[in-house]
Amino acid sequence: MSARTLLEVKGLKKHYPITQGVLKKEVGRVRAVDGVDFSVSPGETLGIVGESGCGKSTVATSLLRLEEPTAGDVLFEGEDITTYDKAELKRFRRRAQMIFQDPTASFDPRMSIGESVGEPLLIHGISDRNRRREIVKDLLERVGLSADDIDRYPHEFSGGQKQRVALARALVVNPELIVADEPVSALDVSIQADILSLMNDIQAEFDLAMLFISHNLGVIREVCDRVAVMYLGEIVEIAPTEELFSNPQHPYTRALLGSIPQPDPRQRGESITLSGDVPSPSNPPAGCRFHTRCPDVIPPEGYEFEQRHWRSVQDLRQRMRKGPLDLETVRTAHSDAAGDGHVQTAEDGQSVLDDEGLKAGIREEFDIPQRLSDDEAEDVLDRALTAEVSDDHESGRDLLDEEFQTPCEQTAPELRETSAGWEAACLLHDEQRQRVEQPADD
Amino acid sequence: MMAADTDNTRRGSSRFEDIDWNEVEQRSGSRPLLTTIKLGSFALFGLLALYDAIRNGPFAEWLLEYISGGPQAEYTVLGIEVATGAPTFDFGSFVWDVTGVDWLFVATLMVMFWYAVVPLARNPRMTRYYWRQFRKNRAAVISMVYLVVIFLVGTIVPLFISVPTSNFQAQLLPPVFTTVSTAAGGDCLVQVTDSVCRGTMAHPLGTTRDGRDILKLVIFGMRVSMQIGLIATLMNIVIATAIGASAAYMGGWVDELLMRYVDIQLTFPQFFLFLLLSYLFEPSLFLLIMIFGLFGWGGISRIVRSEALQRTEEEYFKAAQSAGASPLYVVRRHVVPNVSNSIITAATLAIPGLILAEAAFAFLGLSDPTIPSWGTTISAGRNYLGTAWWVATIPGLFLFFTILAFNFIGDALRDALDPRQE
Repeated sequence: MSARTLLEVKGLKKHYPITQGVLKKEVGRVRAVDGVDFSVSPGETLGIVGESGCGKSTVATSLLRLEEPTAGDVLFEGEDITTYDKAELKRFRRRAQMIFQDPTASFDPRMSIGESVGEPLLIHGISDRNRRREIVKDLLERVGLSADDIDRYPHEFSGGQKQRVALARALVVNPELIVADEPVSALDVSIQADILSLMNDIQAEFDLAMLFISHNLGVIREVCDRVAVMYLGEIVEIAPTEELFSNPQHPYTRALLGSIPQPDPRQRGESITLSGDVPSPSNPPAGCRFHTRCPDVIPPEGYEFEQRHWRSVQDLRQRMRKGPLDLETVRTAHSDAAGDGHVQTAEDGQSVLDDEGLKAGIREEFDIPQRLSDDEAEDVLDRALTAEVSDDHESGRDLLDEEFQTPCEQTAPELRETSAGWEAACLLHDEQRQRVEQPADD
Repeated sequence: MMAADTDNTRRGSSRFEDIDWNEVEQRSGSRPLLTTIKLGSFALFGLLALYDAIRNGPFAEWLLEYISGGPQAEYTVLGIEVATGAPTFDFGSFVWDVTGVDWLFVATLMVMFWYAVVPLARNPRMTRYYWRQFRKNRAAVISMVYLVVIFLVGTIVPLFISVPTSNFQAQLLPPVFTTVSTAAGGDCLVQVTDSVCRGTMAHPLGTTRDGRDILKLVIFGMRVSMQIGLIATLMNIVIATAIGASAAYMGGWVDELLMRYVDIQLTFPQFFLFLLLSYLFEPSLFLLIMIFGLFGWGGISRIVRSEALQRTEEEYFKAAQSAGASPLYVVRRHVVPNVSNSIITAATLAIPGLILAEAAFAFLGLSDPTIPSWGTTISAGRNYLGTAWWVATIPGLFLFFTILAFNFIGDALRDALDPRQE
């Protein structure tokens, strides 16, 4: 690894417009990638990890200009490739190659392996067929296949073999950067290791820079020097691999790491389960995008919550923002749990919950204790629930919105250096630093 | 020492990391030999056609009339002696006056050779695979043999025989080995008894009312059918592929515009267009081929578009793009080969429709009556079905089996090339 930067991405954004009607009026946009910055040095592997739909692959395609980025700069050896014209872009394509996820779909079924691997050579001007074949034969042997495979067709290979061929195709024009988009996700675990070690060998031999995109932390740990963690189109933490695994700074990274199955039961700590769904990138949450699911979401000033209960209250609040609760379901599901005092017998003989019982049921549904430790907070929650069960959804919702707003949704955190020595985007760190820097302010 | 050195450089040049990309970028690309021959053959063809057009085409007629006021005058253009009415090739015993349809037919055959025969020969493994699939359908194999015979006889034999003319000494002769009553009113070469006449080898398939040899008529009919079927279909395929692939690949308003035009074209019957144009101009085989060729591609272009839309979602398109391929390259090397199966199948099933349409026009007397097509002959024999059954029946049988054969082959090709369609 050298100090020189090969690839530097600054503020890369890729938005997809949502259009409506004949005139294609833009009614919104999907913010697949919303401002990411990172850099890759020659010989280095940077991993990008995140859940599906977080924009990892879009980062890959838009930084290679397979899709035009909406905004941002991509510097390749100091030159901004977003301003390249056609000829310059073609020259850049030779120096930066891509490997795709599905080894079956990434080969033209009508072309022999030799033609597919030699295709980049042909495109970049090596018109001598025999020379191409010699190069491809040599390369096939070096990625662990046989030179005789050159005339075989993709369907005659296994997935792992095809991914070796894909690696050969990426290597054939001697690039400086390889972008690998989930290169082993479609393979059996036993074959993954072979491909990964082949990639490691090749990278070491040719001093290749690699951008390795995966949702699999185990794979990332095996090949990457540094890791960037993405959530909803933004990078939330970027750190050297081992440090990230041993001391994650962002709550989302902690949650991701907690999702890796631990074979040793004694090692299994309390794993963090994320609540809620990934929000839609067409309407990302305000402030910190992770606040809707963050287990460490910051409580508002003036209330003392137990963190777990605060998360549950936030879940309730987000649910109420979507619309009135389905009280009927709560009634039937929690009729026996609410305690005898709240069950009334209706005229037709069926037992129903009264309002108090219903509130208790809602608390149970959202994992909120029957009494919050902070009296003021308890009072607010109780009033909101009372409004909700007496069919006044709006005032209940507004009360919660007003009182239980977290700082996380008011301020968007920036990617800043943390005390651990690398960057993370979380208000917990900003806040800590602010507290350290300006203790008099609070 | 020297040997070791050269060996090293040779070995070195076959390693990808030793390619000097600066050198490659500066050198202009040279073409492979086969491509050069292919382009050369098309260029030669173009020059010949241009020569003929100047010397002996409608263009020459117009030129002579315009410049010298009379069709008989001699004139030279670009050093070519203009002479209307003279045959294109005249080598004494071999005379071939190449018509507009002939030029188109030669062009079609050249395209078929370079884009079907050559690729099949260059990919023997793929060819063998498809042949194994195709062979499973025995009716299609027999059909193919039949069509190859029809094609060869129809293209080669008419070059050496002349169009049969009326012969009033040989009217309504029966086919060989059959007999007919002399009371029917025809001529008779071999009389078996007073009232029974037998066919002879002089006219193996008999003759028509005006004494034309039916075998020769059938052979010329083969040529007409192959010409209309192959030329118009090739024109359809080329236009449909270009339109369908660009609609799918460019998308947006280009797609919208092209496909809405296809909708309009599909609602407009080619039958009326032919009636209209043959009223304005003279009805000719050339006109018929042009109408079918230029306006019959709507359905195929829809197939190409939908297939191409599916295929462009595949990752290998992105792979080619990320390797730096231009859109034209991607369409040529990836889109077209991958939709070719559907195109071939659709085309094979379109050919019989075209042949049948031409026969229908000829039967109705709407086409050029001097063109000896099967439809014309069937039409000529329809008044004598009772007395001279062979006049209409024999070309009818050829027409029937040709249509049937194309349909069998189309089905077999669909099964062999495109297993997803059932």
